[in-house]
Amino acid sequence: MQRRGNPARLVIALSVATVLAIFLLYTSIAAQGTPSLQPSQLPGHHGRVTLGGKVVGPVAGNAHDTPLRFRLRDRNGTVTVPVSYRGTVPDMFKVDREVAVDGALVNGVFVAKANTLVTKCPSKYTTKKS
Amino acid sequence: MNGALVIGAVVAVLAVVLVAVPFMREPTALDDTLAEPDELEKRTLELSEERDRALAALKELEFDHRTGKLSDDDYRELVGGYRRRAAAALRALG
Amino acid sequence: MAELGRAALIVSLGLALYAALAGFWAARTRKRRLADSAGNALLAALGATAVAAAVLLSALIRHDFSFTYVADHTSTELPLGYSVSAFWGGQEGSLLLWLLVLTGYGAAAVLLNRRRAPDLVAWTVPVLAGIASFFAFLLVAVASPFATQNAPAQGAGLNPSLQNPYMLAHPPLLYLGYVGLTVPFAFGMGALLAGRTDERWIVATRRWTLFAWTALGVGQLLGAHWAYVEVGWGGYYAWDPVENAALMPWLAATAFLHSVMIQEKRGMLKVWNMLLVILAFGLSLFGTFLTRSGVVNSIHSFTQSSIGPWFLGFICAVVAFALALVFWRLPLLRSKTRLESLVSREATFLYNNLLLVALCLTILWGVAFPILSELVKGESRTVGRPYYDFFLRTFGLPLLLLMGIGPLVAWRRASLRALRRTFVWPAGVAVAVGILLLALGAGSSAPGLIAYTFSAFVLASVTLEFVRGTRAAGSFTQLVSRNRRRYGGYVVHAAIVLLAVGIAGSSAYGSSSERRLTPGQTMKVGRYTLAYRSVAQRRGPNDLEVRAAVDVYRGRTLIGHVHPGKNTYFAEQQVSNEMAIRTDWLRAEDLDVITDQIDPNGTIYFKALVKPLVNFIWLAGVVFLFGSVVALWPDAREQRRLVSRYALPTPAEA
Repeated sequence: MQRRGNPARLVIALSVATVLAIFLLYTSIAAQGTPSLQPSQLPGHHGRVTLGGKVVGPVAGNAHDTPLRFRLRDRNGTVTVPVSYRGTVPDMFKVDREVAVDGALVNGVFVAKANTLVTKCPSKYTTKKS
Repeated sequence: MNGALVIGAVVAVLAVVLVAVPFMREPTALDDTLAEPDELEKRTLELSEERDRALAALKELEFDHRTGKLSDDDYRELVGGYRRRAAAALRALG
Repeated sequence: MAELGRAALIVSLGLALYAALAGFWAARTRKRRLADSAGNALLAALGATAVAAAVLLSALIRHDFSFTYVADHTSTELPLGYSVSAFWGGQEGSLLLWLLVLTGYGAAAVLLNRRRAPDLVAWTVPVLAGIASFFAFLLVAVASPFATQNAPAQGAGLNPSLQNPYMLAHPPLLYLGYVGLTVPFAFGMGALLAGRTDERWIVATRRWTLFAWTALGVGQLLGAHWAYVEVGWGGYYAWDPVENAALMPWLAATAFLHSVMIQEKRGMLKVWNMLLVILAFGLSLFGTFLTRSGVVNSIHSFTQSSIGPWFLGFICAVVAFALALVFWRLPLLRSKTRLESLVSREATFLYNNLLLVALCLTILWGVAFPILSELVKGESRTVGRPYYDFFLRTFGLPLLLLMGIGPLVAWRRASLRALRRTFVWPAGVAVAVGILLLALGAGSSAPGLIAYTFSAFVLASVTLEFVRGTRAAGSFTQLVSRNRRRYGGYVVHAAIVLLAVGIAGSSAYGSSSERRLTPGQTMKVGRYTLAYRSVAQRRGPNDLEVRAAVDVYRGRTLIGHVHPGKNTYFAEQQVSNEMAIRTDWLRAEDLDVITDQIDPNGTIYFKALVKPLVNFIWLAGVVFLFGSVVALWPDAREQRRLVSRYALPTPAEA
């Protein structure tokens, strides 16, 4: 009896190769992911990044007619950077809350992309209530 | 506080009892071996699964044929093989 | 009372360890009484865990603030339901829930199978008990729910965003799902350890897997609905790591559910199924690790917790052990049958598996990317929504198509001529629907149009299958009762189609509009016109509620009123967004109105979204549940057949 090659193996191999090819093509052509940085890590980054940190007042503007202006501080540090943002402001946004926003550093001010401001929900799993 | 102590003691005792029950029921067991399929039983199991698979395959074939997914030629080609397989499994099972 | 809880957990840990060690020894040396004793220990562990759970539950209900956990998650004004839900609202309590569900499942699995397959259960018990020992250890030594303190006068209360009915259903359902995946894993490992080559372990765990998978699916849909209705950004899924944590094991389990059918019917794919069950279980552990450890930035969780390293170590140990086991037993897992044709129902199952696993792994890559890039490049990078959307479309749309192709194809080998004949009707329907939709303007989104067309194909194919089947079987009830799994499965497929249509409609064909309005002004969104009339304030029991009165017009006709707004909670000093949703049932579309910003002088910045067909997503949940129930329903004939196949003579008879 002749032993035929198992078509299943060929199919699996081809499919895995196809998937890998699609994946590699996508990740090489499209963005390589956006860096998530704290203010102290900003200098030197020129492209679009996600800036995270704690909100430092004073907060001015209403984010629609006038840009929302505030400063962001390192989570565990003192370096701050001024931020200018337009778009939806989450309800939980306030001074001392941790937030993240996309954008780029332009002339010393972090100019944010519209509607990218997110706040972190107070965690359910901390040992102490924040 | 006392209530908690009582509940705790009861829980601990019940747990120990439950764990010890198999030994208490049969302090000296004539046959303490775990029931495991021996070679004959394993073979029987394999053949039973083979038989069930072949019979199920025949049912599927017939159903696929009746619902038009399998042409008459293909049906005739495949059904012979599965009938033989089922018959072989049934024969081997005795 | 807290001492009772602590003691109960220690007893549970002791029993789990005994069950694991003694069970292993009993299986190795084939000692029946010791194996029974180990199984009993697992049962007793359920009892001890239940006692611990009862202690925590009673403390929560009584608002006993001497329990640190109770003080951290409840307050005296918290209604009873939410005090109960605080059980799983925090780290320690949710771990206890996990252990409770795990020992519950374990006890049931042991009880139902120990007489019928004693050698398999003998090896399954130590695996289950080993996993339970880990969780019990965490509860005793790392994250105890029974820490005590001097009781403060008032507790911290539950976050207002968690105070809604979803909190009562969503986490428990997810846990029933996550933990449920432990059972097929344990039985699979047990079968490998016992050196069994038959399908007993699959037959024994088939309904467990289906149940867990259903719970996980429904739990996720509830979570999506929660996000949509309560969080108020107009969306239902953000590809957040915590959301993905539940999606990944669900996808792996979906693949597993399909490929075990192949193993049952043809005896193929044994190794693949072992790997899949390890993947599903591993991902469920990984999922809970992600949610708890704070290792990935998520808008959901944000902990700096010590529990992360423990989990990571455990996951690595379990996966390494499982893979080693598979490798050791590889000779036993060789199958004798081959795939006969690339155009057969088996082949479509294989393609479906490949697509599901591919989607699962790309999501895993996206979730792990920030961690990996941090390790490799020193800075953490996140992939955005476009990454996930791309792969959802690339793998999801072919999957959708496959759901329609499957029913048309015969098992073993499909006759191409017959295939062409059966293909014609559904393909024709799909093309017709596609052209119609194109004429109606659906061409604005190519993926959307493709999704709709494929969906029509699937529905037509499934309907045809029901019709032809009824004709062949004689009656509809005959058809379904003879093969509940298959036809329940088709109903589930229909639910997935509804899901796809709902997702496509709401994401590809929606509209949005934002404007700052003063009372009296209007704005347009889609075919609606919104007229802002007035704004009012109301004091609730623990909050201040601001609501805008908005009239909704379609064209010139007034069709309703909505009242979007915000609530400000005094105690927690939090503001919650109360999005107004107006559902048009006839068109299955939602109009969402959000008050983005409310100025003291009454000027409001509004955001309005139209989400076509979004309600199909929730309808899909109901249909999904129904289909699963049909598939799960016990089948007396099948039971008899399986009993006769696997009946083992008891020692007395031998």
